Amino acid sequence: MRGGYLTRRLASAFITIALITIVNFVLFRAMPGSPERVILRGTPNVTQAQLQAARVRWGLDKPVFPDQFVAYLGSTVRGDLGYSFIARGRTVTDVLAQRIWPTVILFGLGELVAILLGLALGAYTGWRRGGPIDHVGNSVSLILYSTPYFLLGMAFLLIFATTLRWFPTFGMLTAGMQYPDPWARFLDFIAHLALPLATVSLGLVGQYAIVMRSSIVETLSEDYVTTARAMGLREGRILGRHALPNALLPTVSLIAINLGYVVAGAITVEVVFNWPGLGTLAVEALTARDYPVLQGVFLLLGVSVVLANLAADLIYGALDPRVRT
Amino acid sequence: MRQPLRPRLARALVAGGLILSTIVPGGSVTAAEGDLILKTGTDQDLQVLNPWNSVVVADFEVYTLNYDLLVNFGPDLEPVPGFAESWTTSTDGKFWTFKIRPDMKWSDGQPATAEDVRWTYQLVLDAVAKSDASADGYYLGQGYLEPYLTNAGVTKVEAINPTTVTVTTEFANTLLLQAYVPILPKHIWSKYTMDEIANATGATAFLNEPSVVGTGPFQAVEWKPGEFIRFAKNPNYWGTQGAVDEIIMQKFASTDTMVQALKTGEIDYARGVLADQFNALKSEPNVATVEGVANGYSELSFNTGGNKKGYGGSTSALADVAFRDALGYAIDKQKLVDSTLGGYGTAGSTIIPPFHTRWHVEPAKARTFDIEEAKRRLDAAGYKLDASNKRLDKDGKVINLRLTWPDSESENATNAQFLVEWFGQLGVTVTAAVTEEGKLIDDVTGPPNGPANYDIYMWGWVGDPDPNSLLNFFRSEEIGGASDSYYNSPKYDELFLKQRAESDEATRKGILAEMQNLVYDEAPYHILYYDAELHAYRTDKFGGWTNQPSVGGTPLFGYGSRGYTLLTDASAQPSPAPSADASAATGSAGTGASAGASQAASATPSPTPASSSNSSLPLILGVLALVIIVVVGLVIMRGRNRRVEEE
Amino acid sequence: MTVAQLQGTAPRGVHVGSGVWDLLKRLLRRPEGLIGSVILTVFIVLSLAPQLFVGPLQTAVTATAGRLEPPSGAHYFGTDELGRDMLNLTVHGARISLVIGLLATLITVAIGVVVGIVAGFVGGWLDAVLMRITDFFLVIPTFVLALILTPIIRELVGSAATEVFGIRMTLIVIVVVIGITSWSSTARIIRSQTLSLRERAFVDRARVIGAGSGHIMRRHILPNVINLIVANAVLTFAGAVLTETTLSFVGLGDPFQPSWGQLLEAARSSGAPGLGAWWYFVPPGAGIVLVVLAFTLVGSALDDLLNPKRRGRR
Repeated sequence: MRGGYLTRRLASAFITIALITIVNFVLFRAMPGSPERVILRGTPNVTQAQLQAARVRWGLDKPVFPDQFVAYLGSTVRGDLGYSFIARGRTVTDVLAQRIWPTVILFGLGELVAILLGLALGAYTGWRRGGPIDHVGNSVSLILYSTPYFLLGMAFLLIFATTLRWFPTFGMLTAGMQYPDPWARFLDFIAHLALPLATVSLGLVGQYAIVMRSSIVETLSEDYVTTARAMGLREGRILGRHALPNALLPTVSLIAINLGYVVAGAITVEVVFNWPGLGTLAVEALTARDYPVLQGVFLLLGVSVVLANLAADLIYGALDPRVRT
Repeated sequence: MRQPLRPRLARALVAGGLILSTIVPGGSVTAAEGDLILKTGTDQDLQVLNPWNSVVVADFEVYTLNYDLLVNFGPDLEPVPGFAESWTTSTDGKFWTFKIRPDMKWSDGQPATAEDVRWTYQLVLDAVAKSDASADGYYLGQGYLEPYLTNAGVTKVEAINPTTVTVTTEFANTLLLQAYVPILPKHIWSKYTMDEIANATGATAFLNEPSVVGTGPFQAVEWKPGEFIRFAKNPNYWGTQGAVDEIIMQKFASTDTMVQALKTGEIDYARGVLADQFNALKSEPNVATVEGVANGYSELSFNTGGNKKGYGGSTSALADVAFRDALGYAIDKQKLVDSTLGGYGTAGSTIIPPFHTRWHVEPAKARTFDIEEAKRRLDAAGYKLDASNKRLDKDGKVINLRLTWPDSESENATNAQFLVEWFGQLGVTVTAAVTEEGKLIDDVTGPPNGPANYDIYMWGWVGDPDPNSLLNFFRSEEIGGASDSYYNSPKYDELFLKQRAESDEATRKGILAEMQNLVYDEAPYHILYYDAELHAYRTDKFGGWTNQPSVGGTPLFGYGSRGYTLLTDASAQPSPAPSADASAATGSAGTGASAGASQAASATPSPTPASSSNSSLPLILGVLALVIIVVVGLVIMRGRNRRVEEE
Repeated sequence: MTVAQLQGTAPRGVHVGSGVWDLLKRLLRRPEGLIGSVILTVFIVLSLAPQLFVGPLQTAVTATAGRLEPPSGAHYFGTDELGRDMLNLTVHGARISLVIGLLATLITVAIGVVVGIVAGFVGGWLDAVLMRITDFFLVIPTFVLALILTPIIRELVGSAATEVFGIRMTLIVIVVVIGITSWSSTARIIRSQTLSLRERAFVDRARVIGAGSGHIMRRHILPNVINLIVANAVLTFAGAVLTETTLSFVGLGDPFQPSWGQLLEAARSSGAPGLGAWWYFVPPGAGIVLVVLAFTLVGSALDDLLNPKRRGRR
C-alpha cells in the first residue's frame, strides 16, 4: 500500500496544480478591460492600428481556445509568466523573484515561532484543562484568533514604533544605510523584522494553540491513556510519551492545510509594515491592475501551498503508518 | 521516530542561515563615511527606468535626474540651458540651432555630443513615422513623449558638427523649448533595436537597469523595485550639484508610515501628504511644509454624445449644453474642496489650471452654487418635472444619470455623495457606483474604438509645463482616442491649431482665453477642483530648499533636477541648533535604525513624542482594558460554571 | 478557516434529541456560550435598527462636526476625517458587517451542504470530482483568489447601483466572492457525516421502499446533518466577518456603506493611526474582535453540545 499512498498523494497534488493553472488562465481572460487598452492606458493618440498591433504581439488576436490556451500552457510550464503591465518590460518571473525572499523569511519564521509557541501553549493548557492557566491561555488564544492580523499590526506599529520608537516603522533594512560590518546589517534587519514577525506569530498562535489543546484533550481521553494511568505511569510521562505524539499528528496536518489561509493574514501584515514581500506586491498589483503579476502571485502561492501540503502528507504518512491505507 | 529529527533540524538551520545570508549579505559598500544622503519618500512606486515607458510622476522625476532635456526648466519654468547651452531661431521661427557644450561628457566618460541629440530625436521621428504608416506600427513605449515633438511640428533634426544640432519645424512655435524628451547616450542605446527600446512587452525589452548612464546631476546606481532607488553623484556633471552626495527615493505603501518616517528623521522629504497629516506637520519642529498648486484638475465629465448612435449615454439631455450648464449651478465646488480635500485646493473653473499663471483666465460668465438658479435653467431649457418630482428629458423619459469614477481614486466617493444629493434636489436622480479602472478606460473610449458607455464620471488630468497637452482632450479628432467627453466643436478645433502655431505670448494667451471660456460655457467638463500638492521636508539636515516654480511650486518632484542641485548642508550653516546637527550626523552614520531613531527623538526634545504618546495612551489602555475584561470574564465564568457542574 | 474545521472532528450520528429551547438553555449554561450570546445579542439588536439608536447613517453631506475631533460630549466616539460621528458609523457598520457576514455564510453553507451531501451520498466518480474541487479550494490561498475574483464578478454583475437586502451591489460581490472561496471545509465535514449516515438502516429502509436519491438526501440525510450545519454555520460566520474585513482593508469595500473593515481602511488611508486619532479605529476594531470572538465562542459551544462524544469528555 505504500506505493499506493504515495501515488495517490502525488496524483492529487498534480490535479490541484493543474486546476490552479487552468483557473489562472480562465481568470486572466475574464478580467475586466481589454488587456491591450489597460497596458496602453492613458496613452495619448492610441490608434486602432496600434491596438491591433498590440493584440497581435501578445497573441490576443488568436482564438482563446485552443491557440491561446496552448501557448499559455507552454509558457507557464517553461516558467514564463508573461510581462508585468506596470513594471513595463520586466517579466513577471523577475518581479516575483525580487519579492519572494522577504515573504519566505517573514512567513517562515512566523510559522516556526507560532508553531512552537502555539503547540506548547495548546499542549500545556490542554493538559492542565480546567485550571486557571488553561482559562487564561485559552481566552488569550481565542482573542488572538478573533483579531485580524492587520489590526494587531497597526496596534504594534502605533505603540512600539511610533510612540515608544523602539523599532523602525517600515521596510526590511534602513534604505541606503551604510554598515560597518555584516553584523550591524544583521541587527538592522532584526530590528525591522521584530514587529512584523511578532504580528504574524501572534496572529497564528491563537489558532494553533486552540487546535493543539483540543487535540490533547481528545487524546487524553483515549483508552490507552486511561490504561497508562491505571498502570500508574507519571502524568508527565503519559503526556510526553503517549498524548503529545498522538496529538501532534493531526495538528501538523491541519497546519499544512491552513497555510493557504495564513497567506491572507501575511498579505495585510506586509502592507501595514511596508515589508517588501509578495503580499505588498499582490496589493500593489491589485490597485495598479497589474493582472499578470497578480496571477503570478496566485500561481506561485498556490503551487507552493500545494507542495507544502504534499510534503506534510508524505511526512505524516511516514510517521503514522495507519494513514497509508 | 524521534531520533532523525535532530539532524533534520540542523539541516533546516543551515538552510535558514543560507536564506538569511542571501538577503543579508556582508555589508555592501554604498557610500563613503560622512556622505550626505538625501532620502525622499513618495507614496508612488517607481515603475520603469526606460524613460519612454514613463507614466507616473516618480518615473519622470527619476529620468530627469538621470538625463538632461535639450532645454531644461528654470526657476519659473522658463527655458534654461540643459543638454544644449544656448540656442537661436531663424526669423520665420521654423529653424532652430542648438549649441552643445564642447567638452561635455556622459557619466561613463564618453563624450556627449550633438549626435546624441540627433539620435534621440530621430528615434522619436522614426517611431512616429512608422506608427502612422502601418498596422505593425510603433508607439514609443507608453507614447507619452512623442507628442512633445509632434506638437512642436518637428520634421527634421541634423547634427552639423559635434557641438551643433539643428531642428526644422513645420510651423513657427516655442513648444520645442518645452519638450520633455530626455537626451539619451547614443553609444548605449543604439545597441538596441527600436523594438527593444519601444516595445515594453517584447521578449527582449531594454530596461535601462542601473547603473544608468546620463548627463544629469545624479545617476541611478541601485534599484530595489517596490522599495527604493539610489542615485550617486555624476562625476562628469556640467553644472553645480549642491551638497547632496547621494539620493534615496523610498516608496511607501501608506502615507501614514511615510509621515512617521519624516518625523523620526528616517527620510528628509515626503511627497503626497494628506490634509490632516499636513496640518499636524505644521507644528512639527525642524519640518517645513509646502502647499504647491497642482498642474492639473479633477473633473466631472459628461458623455456629450448622449444617446446618439455609437454613444452609450442614457439620455439625450447629456448632449444638451443647456442641461450641462444648469447642472453646473448645482455643484458647490468650494464645499468639495473643504470636505474631500480638507481645504487644500482651489474650486475649479477652466481647463487650464491656475498653475499656468501666464495662461489661466477666470471664466467671463462664471457660475455660482445656486440650486434655485439651476432649477430655473432646467425649467427654461424644457426639462419638466413629472408627478413624482423627477426631471424628464425631451423624449419624455425620466432622467437617471449613472455617475461613476475609477476605483483607483477613492476620494471621488466623497464627491459622489454630494453630487447625488445636489442633483437630487433638482429632481435629477443620480445612481453612483465605482468602476474598475481597466473597465472604465474601455467604457469611456468613444466611437468608433469604444462603446462610450457612461453618463457622467469623475477623474483627473495632469498637465505639462505648457498647457497644450491639457487642451488636446477636447479636439473632435480625439474622439475614439484621448477625448472622454466627445466634445465636438469646429471652433475649438480651429483655435487649438492656431494657438499651437502661435509664437507671440500675448496673442496665444488671447486664443487660450477664448478656448477656456468656450469649454467652460459649453461644459463638456465641470472642473471640480484644482488639487494642492502637499509636501513636507526636514530642515535640520539640508538647507536651500527652493520651490519651482517660485509661486505655487514645490522643492522636489516638480520639473527636472534643479531642486536637488540647490540643496545645501544645513550643518555647514550657523543657523540651526547644534543638537539638530548631531542628530543628523549620527543618524546617517549610525549602526542600527533603532539607534538612529532614538537619537533623532532625543535630539528633538519637542512636544512630538510626548504629545503622540499622550494621544495614544488611551488607545493602549483601552486595548489592555478590553483584553483584561474579557479574560477576567472568561475565567470567572469558567470557574463558576465548573463549581456548578461539580455540585 | 474555522475552528471547527481545524478541530477536524465530525460529530458521528447526532440527533436533535431535544427542542431548540432546551438547546438554547444548555448553550446559555455554558460560560463561553453565555458570553458569546450576550455579545451577539447586543450587536444584533444594534444592527437590526441602527437608526433607532444613532439616527440615519451619516454621509459626507450630512456630517456636521469638524475633522477628526476626539471623543467629547457631543460625539462620544469622536469623528472621522469627514466630520462624521464615529458612534453613528460604528453602529451602522455593525449592521453592514453582520449582513455581509450573514449572506456570505448562507452562500458558503448552501454550497458546502449541497456538495457535501451529494458527494457523500452519490459517491463514485461524482464524489471523486467534487472532492478534487473541494481540495482545490481547501488548499489554494483563497484570499488571493478572492482578490482576483472581485473585479471579475463586479464586471459580471455590472456596476449597477441596485441594492439587494439593503446592501449595495459592490458589497454583494464581496458576499459572493466569500461564498465561492470558503465553502470547502463545510463540504468536507458534511460529506464525512453523510458517508456514515449512508450506511445506516433507515437509509436502507427508505431505499427499499423505493425512495429516490433526491428524496433520501432531502428527507433523511439533511435532517440528520442539520446540527452539524448549525454549529458549522456559526463558525463560518466568524470567518466570513474576518474575510470581509480583510478584503475591505485592501480597498475592496464600499465607502457608501462602510462596514467595520471599510472604516479601518478609511482610518488607515486617512493617516489616523499616525495622527493619534485612536478613536477612528478602536471602535470598529473592537467591534470586529468582539463579534468574531462571540461567534467563535458560541460556535464551539454548539459544537460541543451537538456532539455527544465531545460533550462527555469535558
